Amino acid sequence: MPELAPYLQRAVLEIALLAVPAGLLGSWIVLRRLAFFTHAVGTVSFPALVLAGAWGIAPQLAALAAALGFGVAQERIGRGGRLAADAATGLILVGALALGVVLASDVFESGAQVDTLLFGSLIGLTDRDLWLTALVAVVVVVLDASLRRHWLAGGFEPGSSRALGLRPVLADRLLLMGIGAAAIVALDAVGALLVTVVLVVPAATVRLITDRLGALQAGATGVALAEGLAAVWLADALNVGAGPALAVIGGAVFAAVAAATAARARAVPA
Amino acid sequence: MSGLEVRGLSGGYAAGHDVLRDVDFTAAPGEIVGILGPNGGGKTTLFRALLDELPVRRGELSLPGRPAYVPQTDQARLDFPVSAHDVALMGAFGRTPWFRRIARADREAADAALERVGLADRADTTFGALSGGQRQRVLIARALVQDAPLLLLDEPLSGVDGASAARIEAVFGELRAEGRTLLVATHDVRQAGEWDRVLCVHGRQIDFGPPAAVLSPETLRETYGDELIVLEGGGRAVGIGHHAHGH
Repeated sequence: MPELAPYLQRAVLEIALLAVPAGLLGSWIVLRRLAFFTHAVGTVSFPALVLAGAWGIAPQLAALAAALGFGVAQERIGRGGRLAADAATGLILVGALALGVVLASDVFESGAQVDTLLFGSLIGLTDRDLWLTALVAVVVVVLDASLRRHWLAGGFEPGSSRALGLRPVLADRLLLMGIGAAAIVALDAVGALLVTVVLVVPAATVRLITDRLGALQAGATGVALAEGLAAVWLADALNVGAGPALAVIGGAVFAAVAAATAARARAVPA
Repeated sequence: MSGLEVRGLSGGYAAGHDVLRDVDFTAAPGEIVGILGPNGGGKTTLFRALLDELPVRRGELSLPGRPAYVPQTDQARLDFPVSAHDVALMGAFGRTPWFRRIARADREAADAALERVGLADRADTTFGALSGGQRQRVLIARALVQDAPLLLLDEPLSGVDGASAARIEAVFGELRAEGRTLLVATHDVRQAGEWDRVLCVHGRQIDFGPPAAVLSPETLRETYGDELIVLEGGGRAVGIGHHAHGH
């Protein structure tokens, strides 16, 4: 069996590491209805990534700053009371995309880099990228182990969390921070626009067929790993971006599972 | 067990906008207090104050311990991947350190609580697949696992089937015998009349005391304003055509 090229070895390792937050946090993203937030964290990083490329600073650092800025802006707009939280997120998203495009095309003339920033690439992964993803994977494991009861009880019925002796505000903030960190390290692989392909789609797919949290998390981890490896192979074979390849595979698997579960439901009426 | 004492309680969700004021009552161990009031009258605000979750609060509270709260079932997510046993077990989350597994004793307590509310055979059923009355009983089982001296129940008998209502009322009787204090928000005047004390609120405390003294047509009219009060022979208030319930 031929040995994988070094860039493919790194890609496979990155995918394996990303499968951890995809399975553990992805399940909470789906259950807590945070898919739009996750998409937003990825997208708002786009202008920051353009700036990072132009100024030669670490893209993860720039994305982190953008994510923090997004959190503050969303809270400020939401607290004003005139705009619903999802409307505020939508406005920020559009603004971030527009700013990123203007910066990339008219200010820094980033040209072809824009595709990579928006849709990712597994070719240019560095040791630092892999170490950061590994660090986030470990942090996500620790967060999930320590806060899963808070997230479970708070997601099921938020009004009783404090009465149950839990700390919902702190737990929810840490969940959002964990999602932000996972989105940032996923940017290398899938780009600013396709973060949800890693962090949402596998869990959403498995959610169609299970009613148990443990099975959801284990299944989503496995699906994320399998879809990621298939995407790496497809991207390498067809010379396309890994992000779009993963989006196509993830979407196709989701559609197939959804169709199968719908057909089964029709065949076995409740 | 000690009881509950509330003195001069006022408060709300923003400074200068009290939703509830001048609440003053006590509840001894083993007493069930029915809380009557219209929607928006302050019943849930009173519970939030007792749970120390009201942003603005004045007055003095003396609680026998951390209360358990039983919400209305529509506050729970029906699509969440939790079984009846999972929900009951949530009552043990607060006393379990994050680095420890749930203790065997707590798992057994969840089993016992479901048995007590008559749902031992539905322990593995997904919460959303249960009937409305069964869901309410599961939320009560969660409070039982908390083992709290004070239980706050938000309309636990609204919209539940007859079998569930009977089982819930039997559990209330057991908790009363154990010396626990129950505050039960309800719209059912007849039911409140069977409990030990009644507290009527409508933005403020209208009256508090034994049912026979409190449940007069005048007090109920002051409590519910213009909303329909159905009266039966002798002017006795027996029900209010205000909120649909299933029994």
